[in-house]
Amino acid sequence: MKPIVSCRGITKVFGKGELAVHALRGIDLDIMEGDFATLAGPSGSGKTTLLNMVGALDHPTAGEVAIDGQPLSGMSKSALSDLRLNKIGFIFQAYNLVPVLSARENVEFVLRLLRVEPAERRRRADEALAEVGLQGMEGRRPSALSGGQQQRVAIARALVARPRIVLADEPTANLDSTTTKELVDLMYRLNQESGITFLIGTHDPRVMEHSKRHIEMNDGQIESDTRG
Amino acid sequence: MLVSLAWRNIWRQPVRSVLSLIGLAFSSLLLVFMLSFQFGVYDTIKIGALGLFDGFGQFQPEGYDDDPDISKQLPGSQALLAADQIKGVSATAPRASSFAILANGDTSFGAAVIGVDPAREPAVSTLYSTISEGRYLEPEDSAAIVMGAGLVRNLGLALGDNVTMLGTGNDGAVAADVLELVGIFSTGVNAVDRQITQMPLARFQETYNMGENVNVIALRGPDFNGVIRAAPDLQGLAEAEGAVYLRWDDLQPEVRQMITLDLSTAMLMYGIMIVVVVFILLNTLYMSVLERTREFGGLMAIGMRPAQIGAMVWLELVFLSLLGAGIGIALGAGITIWVENVGISFPGMEDVLGQWGISGRVYPDLSFFSASIGPGIIVGSIIILGLIPYRRILGLEPVSAMGAA
Repeated sequence: MKPIVSCRGITKVFGKGELAVHALRGIDLDIMEGDFATLAGPSGSGKTTLLNMVGALDHPTAGEVAIDGQPLSGMSKSALSDLRLNKIGFIFQAYNLVPVLSARENVEFVLRLLRVEPAERRRRADEALAEVGLQGMEGRRPSALSGGQQQRVAIARALVARPRIVLADEPTANLDSTTTKELVDLMYRLNQESGITFLIGTHDPRVMEHSKRHIEMNDGQIESDTRG
Repeated sequence: MLVSLAWRNIWRQPVRSVLSLIGLAFSSLLLVFMLSFQFGVYDTIKIGALGLFDGFGQFQPEGYDDDPDISKQLPGSQALLAADQIKGVSATAPRASSFAILANGDTSFGAAVIGVDPAREPAVSTLYSTISEGRYLEPEDSAAIVMGAGLVRNLGLALGDNVTMLGTGNDGAVAADVLELVGIFSTGVNAVDRQITQMPLARFQETYNMGENVNVIALRGPDFNGVIRAAPDLQGLAEAEGAVYLRWDDLQPEVRQMITLDLSTAMLMYGIMIVVVVFILLNTLYMSVLERTREFGGLMAIGMRPAQIGAMVWLELVFLSLLGAGIGIALGAGITIWVENVGISFPGMEDVLGQWGISGRVYPDLSFFSASIGPGIIVGSIIILGLIPYRRILGLEPVSAMGAA
């Protein structure tokens, strides 16, 4: 298997001088195709910062991140946007849905950016929503959906463009235990059935239970990286 | 996609958007009405001041305007009289004029004596309509004169009295005549009522020994602006006949100066109003952009380019400003059209307005220009200044944007 994400010597320092905070200290990490990996660690350990680097949302102070063999350094903002659009799906703790769009339109939004034809766009969006169990709720706006339903829409949006990897940052933090279990089962099933690669930053033991690979971080470094 | 998103985003905060629209619409309405009203007043002043006597334009001999000497006469007057065939011009009237001493017994006053063609003159000037006693000149009149009420009062004349006229003829000889006062006009313009008299052109030409020559040909059209548009043709005709053509602002430069001064002051006020409105609106809209920084970060994360987000926000500004200005123009035009029909009166200001040839009511004049220039500047300013939030969005980084409060 080849790595989808390759991090070499990733360092991230916020601030300067005495106020400098070393969020990441020389991380080396490969995320392989088909991984269902969890990234855990105490608050401030660098999980979110690492996810931001892997997701091409932030630039490392030193080191190199490559997605699908393509180094991110030197890429323009627009090129990074295109890379995220084509290769990465995001699931956020706060869902980050567009409030003025319906569930279907939120999912279709990514396909619109990819200039997919309207009929194909609608078919794929409805399929993705059905896959996450939201059939019949396509026309509802986020405000008319529960937190769990909104997170399902966010998962459908992350998956609809068939990305190379889905990055999830605390996706279950705002959800109750039943909804959390349903969503974790869903992501795991998608990984198992479709082979979609997941990297999930989480504190939640219910998420970690399903993980095939567990990465533990502390103080900006990888403390352990175990498969099981 | 961006268009639809931008439109929906406007209505996320309906109260804020409606308040912004009301602000935009009201300022646009005000600008449409005020500018139309102002231009309407200017047109009324121009038509009143020029229509009373001068006409909307005149053919004159070279140098006559600066030194109106009777010996400066129009060559080719027949060809110039045919200017009423030019599009925008409906009538022409020949005139000859001189200054003379008018006397009644021991009382005498200097005045302008103007020979007019009684058949043609009423189609060019409205002086005939201000006759308050007696009648205006008629084609069969010969030794007749009409005079302003002020001059009649100064000379102690009454209708039917004879007045002695003493002037200098075309050849330098004495030009004298005795004329019967057949009409008294009261224009409300003191300078005209005290200094102007009219007599039949044929009698004037005979008395002043100027053959069939004239000094001036005045003209008028059904529409003031139509005569302005015809100016190039009229200038061409004047040049061909060895004359000059004087536009309205050559004839009444003080009217032009008054309008320019008034317009400059008004533009300053409108400019201040536009600046205040634009910046209040931009502030409101910019706040809404700042509030959505986190959302923009999310959109960037899922692959939307910063330029696309910036364009979406810019479109929101464009839609809002166009909608507000559109509503304002529609309402402003509606109110202006209504006032165009009923007019506005200024009780107690009749004397002041009368000096500018305005009687009674004032009517606005709605035009494409008056309806579009004010709102257009507001929309244009917002569209251009809307590039400020656009540029801010271009500078956003996804992570810092998502971390915004």
